[in-house]
Amino acid sequence: MPVLKIPRKAQRIVAPFVESRVPGPEEFVVLSEPLLNATLKLARLLKGCKSKWALSGDAGELVSGVSIPADHLSILTTAEGCEEISYRLVENVVQPPRIVERKLDREAKIGKEPYPVQMKSHEARFRIEGQRLHVYGGLQIRIGDWEWGDPLEYEPEYVYVGSEKLPVVPLRLKTELYIGLGWMDRVKKINEAMVRRHHGPGFGG
Amino acid sequence: MSSVIMEPRKNLVCLGAGFMSGLVAAEVARDSHNYSVVAITKGPWWDYVSDFSTTKYDEWGVGLGRKYDSPLPVQSTTIRNSPTQFALPVRRYTMPIQYHALGHGVGGAAQHYGGTMGRQGPWGYKQQSLSDAAYPGKLAQIQPNNDLQDWPLDYAGYEPYYHKWELVYGLCGTNNGSPTDTSSDMNYPWMDPSYGSKYPMPPHPLTPVATQFRDACLATSPPQGAKFTSYHPFPHVSSLASQPYTNVPYGVPVNPCVYDGYCGGNCNYACETGAKANAAYRTIPAAMATGNFKLVTNAYIFRLVWDATSHTVTEAHYYDAQGNVHIQQGDVFFNGMWGYNMIRIMLLSGVGVPYQYNSGLGTGTGSVGRGLTNGYAPYTGTAASGTLNIGANSYSAGNASGGSVDIYDLMDDNFDHTNLNFIGGAQIGMGGYAGGGPGNITLAGNVSPSNTGVGGTFKAKQKDKYLPTTTNVGATPFAPDIPTYDHYVDLDPHYTDIYGDPLSRLTYDWTANMYNGATYLATIVAQILTKMGASNVKVGATPAQVHNDWWGHHLRGGCRIGKDPTSSVFNSWNQHWLSGAPGPNIGSNYFAAGEITNTAGDTVPSGTHVAGPQSWRAAEGIRQYLQTPGLLTP
Repeated sequence: MPVLKIPRKAQRIVAPFVESRVPGPEEFVVLSEPLLNATLKLARLLKGCKSKWALSGDAGELVSGVSIPADHLSILTTAEGCEEISYRLVENVVQPPRIVERKLDREAKIGKEPYPVQMKSHEARFRIEGQRLHVYGGLQIRIGDWEWGDPLEYEPEYVYVGSEKLPVVPLRLKTELYIGLGWMDRVKKINEAMVRRHHGPGFGG
Repeated sequence: MSSVIMEPRKNLVCLGAGFMSGLVAAEVARDSHNYSVVAITKGPWWDYVSDFSTTKYDEWGVGLGRKYDSPLPVQSTTIRNSPTQFALPVRRYTMPIQYHALGHGVGGAAQHYGGTMGRQGPWGYKQQSLSDAAYPGKLAQIQPNNDLQDWPLDYAGYEPYYHKWELVYGLCGTNNGSPTDTSSDMNYPWMDPSYGSKYPMPPHPLTPVATQFRDACLATSPPQGAKFTSYHPFPHVSSLASQPYTNVPYGVPVNPCVYDGYCGGNCNYACETGAKANAAYRTIPAAMATGNFKLVTNAYIFRLVWDATSHTVTEAHYYDAQGNVHIQQGDVFFNGMWGYNMIRIMLLSGVGVPYQYNSGLGTGTGSVGRGLTNGYAPYTGTAASGTLNIGANSYSAGNASGGSVDIYDLMDDNFDHTNLNFIGGAQIGMGGYAGGGPGNITLAGNVSPSNTGVGGTFKAKQKDKYLPTTTNVGATPFAPDIPTYDHYVDLDPHYTDIYGDPLSRLTYDWTANMYNGATYLATIVAQILTKMGASNVKVGATPAQVHNDWWGHHLRGGCRIGKDPTSSVFNSWNQHWLSGAPGPNIGSNYFAAGEITNTAGDTVPSGTHVAGPQSWRAAEGIRQYLQTPGLLTP
């Protein structure tokens, strides 16, 4: 059959279509390839780790489906876990474990009042595949001049990054933490992820 | 006022935005050369929360209205069983006569598919040469007009691409039943252990029927002539995420399946958590995140412009929803359209050499449209069946493809075919979730006053449908569909789409190999059913004269990759050969991949899974071509 003539004229046809809003690039948050490779490497290096540990921070939320960009990896563990991880990642150590107390860049907002936030933990720092890894053991938080809270406790949930099964800090714990700090923008982000994961209202909805 | 609009030129133009285009778009957009990429699709972007989470439970709209599917009033196809018949158009999506359920929009048909997967084994790639070597003359005896060809690469050539593709789309399973998982295993899709884990995620939880099938397989002796010493059952491979997942290497987070039941069945529901692997939620986000990628929705591609001097496609023309004509120029074009649409746009545009069947000779010439086969079981076919004394709950729970167990031992050349009248065999699986998908409206799900009567009988049947005290088990173990010269796709001389262009015309019927295989294998399946403890085990034979009335959505072949430019459309890189074109074979800037480019196959459940590695290889080829245009060498 010869090629059909190409119509260059517009057609006055009313075809049924579904209205559609294509999301913009900023709406797709993915784990960058360097961080992804570091995560995979970390999962392999910590296979068999006896202490409780879980991916935390922004990267932990991102692999749990929260649309939040991440620029480094964090691990939440116990004081002993910080020691064990440092032993297992000895070739990647940037800063060996020690007790560190620091003030967070972001303040808590209780009612309408801002309060400084301090955290204290057995902290160690590493570099995996060129990416930063912060490990926090027995993390405690203090708001303003209140007493220090108990070390954060959790039962990890699990996600798969590629073929690697990875423990992550549960979003429920993160939500409770953010509510306590008054960081409602972060609560909202997690809530949105829960709506998308469970096709219904998220926490508290 | 409608008008003609010239779009900015792109390095790569993807036709369609489904499984194959999504992967190619992501791979090329992520390239370090910052290539610009556009994907054009005739449907919308689907947001699984706002579009599916509250409206998908509409059985009437989804199952019969097919509200998420490609609108047939815009474009359909015509169908017939033989070249001597007058083909008629498909006017609506219904079971059992017509069951296309074509996709529409970003993600394509995978937005609502069952997610069933499974690699094709080494035998499937060399079906023709291995059969001829082992059983000289058998193919011609079974199917005198067969047009079977080997693939351009063998299984080992595709194995690395399988692995990458499975990590991107996130497949669940353990293995494929290969006893050795080494390249010495010609009859199972082995998985190279050097890649570490097999499928990235674990399989979905097994059902009681599945475990009973698994145990029965292990306790059943192989049939006479078997090349294996015991059966190798394994959990069904699925692309519905069983766990929260982040894909590799794109880092796209994926929600897991919530087992809500509105998944499969005749309705084929879309997924409200994005757990059904498809381009919209696995690959397009990675392309989008680069900033090099543009997605054009509600755009109907009606022509490609072929430059006969340079042997290249130079433009794609499409209508937008307002009827404007858009002209999209590009350096390379990748066609990832579904099935016959890929063939149709080539025939409408003069790309490649159309297949011409010669009824006098019983053979044909040309390649575009040649070698159409079907990857689905005959709707009516020879089957083994029985009844298990296991109750079930069919209320919505579970998903479309999880929970079952498969064996690949009865397919490919796993048993001696010397005295058999078919080649290959069948993949057998049992034990999917009973509540994986409400039927196509309760009354059409075999419980209607017309076949049960009314009153108490009707109510009892309804109750038994949702809370059955027994479970029917069985299989229709058809052997591979062999390509023949008289099964093909061309343009229909009578019917047109809404814009006045000819529809595609499918000429297809079941082949003898399928029926012959089922006749032999059903008795072997019956032995396994007996071992499972099933009662009322029987083999129901269907005469071979029954014609195809199941125009499934798993059409394979028709636009094949191959080794020979005169009988295939694309080479091993899924690059257009320019077969039969005047001048030297310089290699075109036109690539394609999909089930329809599969050369031939065994009976694995998913032609999509088999096509996936082709899309990855095409992406590699395109990146090479963008650096150095020309014919890519194997």
